Amino acid sequence: MLSRVADNLYWMSRYIERADGMARMIQVHQSQALEYAQNDQQLEEFWQPVLQSICAESVHPAEQGFRKIGKTLLFSSSFENSIFSSISIARENARMVRDQLSEELWLELNNIYLFFHNGDADQLYKQGSDLLLDRITRFSLVFQGLADATIPHSEGWRFLSLGKYLERADQTSRMLDTLNLRTKEPTRADLMSVLRCCIALSAFRQQFRGNLSLKNVANFLLFSEDFPRSIRFCIRAIDHSLHAISGVPTGTFSNEAERLTGSTLAMVNFTDWNQVVAKGLHQTLDELQTTLIEIGQRVFETYVLLPSEIKSLGERSSAQLAQAQQQQ
Amino acid sequence: MSLPSQFQNYTTGHFFDEMFSGDQELSARAHYQQIFQRFDRLTASEISDRRQQADSSFLEHGITFTVYGDEGGTERIFPFDLIPRVIPESEWSMVENGLRQRIIAINLFLNDIYHGRKIIKDGIIPEEIVNSSKNYRPEMIGFDPPQGVYAHICGTDLIRDDKGNYLVLEDNARCPSGASYLLENREIMKRAFPQTFGGMAVRPVEAYPDTLLKTLEYLSPRKSQKPVCVLLTPGVYNSAYFEHTFLARQMGIEIVEGKDLIAIDSCIYMRTTRGLVQVDVIYRRLDDDFLDPLMFRKESMLGVSGLMDAYLKGNVALANAVGTGVADDKVTYAYVPEMIKYYLNQDPILANVPTYLCWRDSDRAHVLQNLENLVVKAANESGGYGMLIGNQSTKEEREEFARLIEAHPREYIAQPIVSLSRHPTFCEEGIAGRHVDLRPFILYGEDVEIIPGGLTRVALKKGSLVVNSSQGGGSKDTWVLKDF
Repeated sequence: MLSRVADNLYWMSRYIERADGMARMIQVHQSQALEYAQNDQQLEEFWQPVLQSICAESVHPAEQGFRKIGKTLLFSSSFENSIFSSISIARENARMVRDQLSEELWLELNNIYLFFHNGDADQLYKQGSDLLLDRITRFSLVFQGLADATIPHSEGWRFLSLGKYLERADQTSRMLDTLNLRTKEPTRADLMSVLRCCIALSAFRQQFRGNLSLKNVANFLLFSEDFPRSIRFCIRAIDHSLHAISGVPTGTFSNEAERLTGSTLAMVNFTDWNQVVAKGLHQTLDELQTTLIEIGQRVFETYVLLPSEIKSLGERSSAQLAQAQQQQ
Repeated sequence: MSLPSQFQNYTTGHFFDEMFSGDQELSARAHYQQIFQRFDRLTASEISDRRQQADSSFLEHGITFTVYGDEGGTERIFPFDLIPRVIPESEWSMVENGLRQRIIAINLFLNDIYHGRKIIKDGIIPEEIVNSSKNYRPEMIGFDPPQGVYAHICGTDLIRDDKGNYLVLEDNARCPSGASYLLENREIMKRAFPQTFGGMAVRPVEAYPDTLLKTLEYLSPRKSQKPVCVLLTPGVYNSAYFEHTFLARQMGIEIVEGKDLIAIDSCIYMRTTRGLVQVDVIYRRLDDDFLDPLMFRKESMLGVSGLMDAYLKGNVALANAVGTGVADDKVTYAYVPEMIKYYLNQDPILANVPTYLCWRDSDRAHVLQNLENLVVKAANESGGYGMLIGNQSTKEEREEFARLIEAHPREYIAQPIVSLSRHPTFCEEGIAGRHVDLRPFILYGEDVEIIPGGLTRVALKKGSLVVNSSQGGGSKDTWVLKDF
C-alpha cells in the first residue's frame, strides 16, 4: 500500500474518533453544567479545566462567556479539533483514498459532511444541541461498524485501527485528567461525567457496584483489561495492529513504534494504583500522552517518511498549486 | 402533428435541432422517436423526482468538480440533464472515422516535428509557429516515445453547425477530462429510464476503463512482468480530482501524487509501506510544466524530480507523452486538415471551423475590423478561459482584446460565431433548446479505439455558447443507436 494512503487512512480514522469523543464530551458536560454551574463565574470554573485538558483554552476566550461554548466546539472553523473541522479533515483524507473505502463507508462520511456543509446541522442545533450531538455519535458508530463489516481486514484496515485506538487512548487519558485540573476535589458528578464521556458508566457499575471514587474510576479507565476504552485495552490494540502490519510477532519489535508501544503496554500491564499515587495521577497521564504522541510520530517515520522537500513546504502552497493545474 | 404537454411550447429557432426537424411543423427525427414519446409523457412530478434523484446521487457519491479561484475549493456537481443526446450509428461511424484519421495525423505530426521536421521543410507549416508554441518541448527532439505514439488519450471537441455538419472545435491532446462523467451519466440514465434505455439498442460505454488500462500497459518498458501502472494526480484540490480517483479505481491501479514517487538511478519508484516499488507507466493528469521541477517549472511541488531523466532514458512511460501540447495550440489546430493531406494523402472527413490566424497580417486586419462577429480565442488556453464572443461582448472587452491581439498576434485566433446545434433540455421554463457540443474520447494504443458517443456538454444558460463546466455548462448522456 502507498505510504501516503496509509497515512490518510490513519488520519481519517483518528479524526472520526476525535469528532465522536468531542461530541460526547460536549454533551456530557453541557448536561452537568445545567445542574451545577448556573452563573457566568461558575460556568467558567466548570469549563476551564475541560478546555485545558483538550488543549483548547485559547479557542474560547473567557470574555465570550461560556454559555455558547458547545457551539464553538461544534462549528468553529478556526479550531482544528471542532467537530466540523474534524469531519472535514476526515472527509478530505477519505477523498484521497476513495479507492480503499467501500462505497457505503464513503457515503456515510460524505453525508455527515454535507449535513454540516449545507447548514442542516445548524438547523438541527437550533432545535436542540443534543439532537445534533446524538447524530454525530451515531454517525461514528455506524462508520466504525461499516469499516469493520465492509472492508478487508488487511493492511489498510490495520491503519484505521491504529488511528482509532491511538486517538481513543489519548481521549480517555484527557478526560481522566480533567479530574486533576479542577481546583476542588472531584465531586460525584465530576466522576460520573468522566465515565459518561468514555461510555463507561454501566461497565464501571458492573465491576464496582456503586463504589464511585477517584481511585476506582481511574483504576477502571487506566487498567481495565476488557473495557474497550480503557487505556490498557487501547494500547494492547495498538500493539496488535502494529505487529499485524509488520508481521513481526508480539513481544518483539522491528521499529521504534513497536518498541515504545510494547514497553508502554508492559508498563500498564504491571502497574497498580499505588504506583500511580506515588507518581501522581496527572504526571502519569501526562507521560502517557507524551508517549502516545511519540508512537504516532514513529509510525509516521516508519511507514510514511516523506521526502524532506515536502516537509519544509506548507500545505497551503501545494494546495494552491494543485488548484492551479487546470484540466482541459 | 400537434404537440401535447411537455414539448408544446418548444421551438427550434434558427438553429439545427438535434431532436426535431422542420421550423414550423416540428417532427421528431426517426432516431429520437422513442425519446420524444417517453419525455413527452412525463408528468412534472416524475421529472422533478428523477432530477432530484440524479442530483443527490452525484452529490452523495462525491461526483463533483472544484471551482477555481475559490479559496475553500468549493465543490459543485456538474449539472446533469436527463434528456439524452442520440446519435444514429450511420452518423457515428462517419464521426468515428474522422476522429481516427485525425488522431493518426496528429501523432504523425508530433513525431515529425520532434524528428526530421519534413512538414516544415516542405513548407506546409511555418517553423516559427511550431517553435513559438507555448507547449513545444525541445527536450523531446530525437526522443522516441514508447510504441511511437504521443497522444494516447485524446478528447477532441466536436460541434454541429446550422446545417448539422460536424466540425472539430479543438483537439485536447494533453490531459482531457470528462470520461468519468460520461460513465456515471450512463449509470444514472440506466437507473432513471430502464425501459426506454433497454428498448433502444444503445451501444455500451463501460469498456472504457479496461481499454484505457490496456492502452497504458501496452507502453510498459518492462515486458518481462505485469506492468505497474499508476495515475499521477495534482492532488485533492484539483478540479478533476474526482475523475482521477474514479478512473484509478475502475482500472484497479494506484492513484499517486508527486510526493509518492521518487527517482533513483533513472528509474521511478513509488513509496509503499513495504518499501519502494518500481513504476512502469504513468497516466499523468498533470501538465508538462509541472512534471519535473528539474526540467520544467522549478517551483512545482506536484511533480517528481528526475522524472524526465527516467522518461528520456526509456525507463518509464508517460501517457500522454511530453510535448503533445503543440497539437493543442489553436494555431496548429488550423493546420490539421493540411496535416491529414500531407501525411495520409486523404481528404479530412471532419472539417475544422474556419480559423483566422492573427499572426498573418491579412487575417489580423480582418479580425480587428470584425470583432463583433467573431469568437476570439487565446491559442494556448483551455476550459473556456481567455475567450471573447464578439456579439455578446461589450465595447470595452472588444477594445481590450484588440490591444491583446496587436501586442501578441501569435497568441490569438478568431473564428466565425458558429451557431451550435441545440438540444431539448430541462430549463426553468420547461423543456427548451440549449446549445450542445460533443467530446468523444479516443484511445490510441495498439489500435485506435473510440468510446461510442462521448460526453455531450450543454450550455444551460439561455443563448450561451459556452459549454465548459467552469462556465455554467452541464452534461447529458450520449446514446449511439446500433439500429439506425
